[in-house]
Amino acid sequence: MTIDRDAVAAARGRDKRAVARLVTAFEDPRPEAAAARRDVVAALDADGAPLGRVVGFTGTPGAGKSSLVGELALRLAAPPSSSAVAVVAVDPSSPVSGGALLGDRTRVRFPPGEPRLYFRSQPSGGAVGGVARATFQVCRLLARLFDVVIIETVGIGQSEIDIVRIADTTFLVVQPHAGDHVQFMKAGIMEVPDAFVVNKIDLDGADATFHALRASLRLGAPGRGERPVYRTSARTGDGVDALAAAVGAGPPPGLATREPAFFTGWVEAEYGRWGRDRLARLGADPASYLAAHGGLDGAQLAFAAAMDLG
Amino acid sequence: MAERDRPAHLLLDAEGRATRDAPWIFRTYAGHSSPRASNALYRANLDKGQTGLSIAFDLPTQCGYSSDEAIARPEVGKVGVPVNSLDDFHLLFEGIPLERMNTSMTINGTAMWLLALYVALARERGVPETELKGTTQNDIVKEYLARGTYIFPPEHSLRLVAETYEYCVDRIPEWNPSNICSYHLQEAGATPVQEVAFALANAIGILDLLRSRGRIDADRFAKCVGRISFFVNSGIRFVEELCKMRAFGDLWDEITRDRYGISNAKYRLFRYGVQVNSLGLTESQPENNAWRILLEALGVTLSRKARCRALQLPTWNEAMSLPRPWDQQWSLRLQQILAYETDLLEYPDLFDGSPVVGAKAAEIADGARAEIERIVGMGGVRAAIDAGYMKSALVRSMADRMARINAGQQVVVGVNRWTDGLPSPLVGGDDGGVFKVDPAAVDDALRSLDETRRRRDAGRVAEALARLEEAARSGENLMEPSVECALARVTTGEWAHALRRVFGEYRAVTGVDGATLDLDAERTHRLRGRIDAFAAARGRRPRLVVGKPGLDGHSNGAEVIAVAARHAGFDVVYSGIRLTPDEIAQSAVEEDADLVGVSILSGSHLELAAQVIAALRQAKAGDVPVIVGGIIPRGDHQRLVELGVARVFTPSDYQLVDVMDRIMDVIEERAAA
Repeated sequence: MTIDRDAVAAARGRDKRAVARLVTAFEDPRPEAAAARRDVVAALDADGAPLGRVVGFTGTPGAGKSSLVGELALRLAAPPSSSAVAVVAVDPSSPVSGGALLGDRTRVRFPPGEPRLYFRSQPSGGAVGGVARATFQVCRLLARLFDVVIIETVGIGQSEIDIVRIADTTFLVVQPHAGDHVQFMKAGIMEVPDAFVVNKIDLDGADATFHALRASLRLGAPGRGERPVYRTSARTGDGVDALAAAVGAGPPPGLATREPAFFTGWVEAEYGRWGRDRLARLGADPASYLAAHGGLDGAQLAFAAAMDLG
Repeated sequence: MAERDRPAHLLLDAEGRATRDAPWIFRTYAGHSSPRASNALYRANLDKGQTGLSIAFDLPTQCGYSSDEAIARPEVGKVGVPVNSLDDFHLLFEGIPLERMNTSMTINGTAMWLLALYVALARERGVPETELKGTTQNDIVKEYLARGTYIFPPEHSLRLVAETYEYCVDRIPEWNPSNICSYHLQEAGATPVQEVAFALANAIGILDLLRSRGRIDADRFAKCVGRISFFVNSGIRFVEELCKMRAFGDLWDEITRDRYGISNAKYRLFRYGVQVNSLGLTESQPENNAWRILLEALGVTLSRKARCRALQLPTWNEAMSLPRPWDQQWSLRLQQILAYETDLLEYPDLFDGSPVVGAKAAEIADGARAEIERIVGMGGVRAAIDAGYMKSALVRSMADRMARINAGQQVVVGVNRWTDGLPSPLVGGDDGGVFKVDPAAVDDALRSLDETRRRRDAGRVAEALARLEEAARSGENLMEPSVECALARVTTGEWAHALRRVFGEYRAVTGVDGATLDLDAERTHRLRGRIDAFAAARGRRPRLVVGKPGLDGHSNGAEVIAVAARHAGFDVVYSGIRLTPDEIAQSAVEEDADLVGVSILSGSHLELAAQVIAALRQAKAGDVPVIVGGIIPRGDHQRLVELGVARVFTPSDYQLVDVMDRIMDVIEERAAA
């Protein structure tokens, strides 16, 4: 696949069709797709615009992530803010057919034609960590085009939480009656997020859940310090402004620093132990390997070529 | 004559003389184009021996929009009559005496408004409200589950339902404020057990709400229990349907007695009306539907103990289009022959004591009782909607049904068996056997709306709307403020928008998550191979955007297609219902779709398809192919193709693997171009 410069310029202007086609190119799992990505990244980085921040929202099915994320995106982009916000919503692919039913759009309604808001559904493609293999790549693109990129993961169980390897800040969303504090404490997932959201506070039981969550956070993950718990209702809009403020005040964007780790994961997923051994034999740590090949895409191309040569 | 000497086959009156029952109310679900055109139709139907009215409203009226709003325009007068103001009700009921009429209104999201219009009409005509008889469907729960014409979030919608009960119990004692509707549940795929359980759980939800609101005393509450009526579907398995009706009656008697302590047996009666099944009507060999309708009518009339109070029959050509007056007359004649020519009404119940019927009814009642307990245990019907529980169950049942038909396990004559038939002379006329809305009649409705806006007292309108909003905020009963709005000539859209400002709007769960299908394994395997090859060559799976433009909320078709497409290996973005053409185009563009599929059942397929294609072109995505599925008359297929539609699918395309194969054809054609 080749990308022409007009398409990149149009995407820079947030033309939806151009953005959408580039997202498709960044989702392409074939090793040779890295060449097109490398060109796009180079073209976009030429003007020196800063990367946007990447924010992850994860949580159990039914916690109301989609509605909350939709409402949050609208608030982040609402005047007087001039921020542009992209949402990527991941849904599971069928392990049998490989197809996916992506339904998150039904809960989000952005005004048609607004270039500062973009929504994209993404199939998990068989990955089990709550995001797709392609999610990281798509974030690399969208963080170059939008001020904030929100990732909504697959509804998760008690442990899968790959989103923290992508996002600058990860929020875990729970709903009222999500569990008592013992359940919160034993869930491995609680140790990982940077902040929490009790959503659907218009329903009964929200206060109890909030307090149970706070109590278990103090006991459950001693090394993590105080982590904030926000209270929202996507339905009434209560608390969403406070959440939007927290998103805006998060740590500086750091997607690029996570590229070496992504590269290592990619090598393992694509080439298994053979690939990992090969990477070790090349004698470079992943970060220097990336630096030597002009970044992630160049490294992927070079490594794929090396593997092809055997 | 002593009890034991009385011949068991005789039906005796109070004096012990042999008699026959009065027939049920004969209705025809009707309405189209404009109030004036519909009035002419009603009067003609009443002249032919119809004994009650059943009013079909168009989608803008059902969803709370006036005819001149942008989202309403393509749908005005399509599936029913547009009603914009009290002036339209005067036209609609001209020459029809309200005090002698039994009027059923299939209206839900805006039920309170239409009831307020009816009350206002009676007041302006000088008819006492207490003499009004009829039913507002006013069953909001099944709108969330199956039919889609909800407006507000559940708690506010349920408040409106409760307030109509609280108003009617004193003011219109013979009105059925709501008609708990299992009809659409069967259309959405419900099994008999699900149909009984979900409908009764729904009724329990309303009664629990009325009791917990505490605005009526015990005596009035008992009357409200007695006023709950039901609207039931009757399918082709007519013996099972007969048993289902008996199970309904037994369970309702049990619930009203045990849960609500109603001692007066009259208030525990399961009173129901019927529209027999449309789901099983076929587009191929459509004349066969006449027999299906007859058999389905038997299921709800044969057993005296479980006989319906009112019956409306669809027409033989309903799978193809809206019915013509002649089609409706033919269905009405069926009812008249059944009631007056046969001896059906001369006997007591034919099935009391039948071990077969008794056991089958008990089986359905037992299954339904367990299901009701599950729903009540989840926190009741409201919580079960929020959790998507019932919706998911229905989507699964529908998928099972489609799979059985696909596999030939469920025989549908003319569809999967004996498919070769002679051409039907019934569809040979100039009109092709289908009804066309006269566009000029729609203009008549718009003119009437203009005139109302021009002639009304703007000050009174503003005051009435302000009063309505204030009552909505304060929790006061909204009926009387709504009647004042009606008298002031507030429009349907204005009434609904005022309440939207206070209550907000509802967005639905889809129910498609987790549903699976069982299709022809061999062909599915081949199709998956084809899709995998495409994905390997293109770097991603073929990607569909599926949605419903317009106001029609019958989402089953779109959902089944979405589930089937995932099953085949497509990535499917399901974007939901009630979308504007711009929203569908935006989904297609943002998702970089390979194909857009839209489902349209309202009869507005030409307008909506043209608008979707125009919106795609506007968004620089005119190259994305569009397919349309729905109830689309043969004669319109070519016109859709001329508009730029790549393929048209109708109910006769029931083989889902075929549909998926043809979708893949379109995507491959485009990729090759």
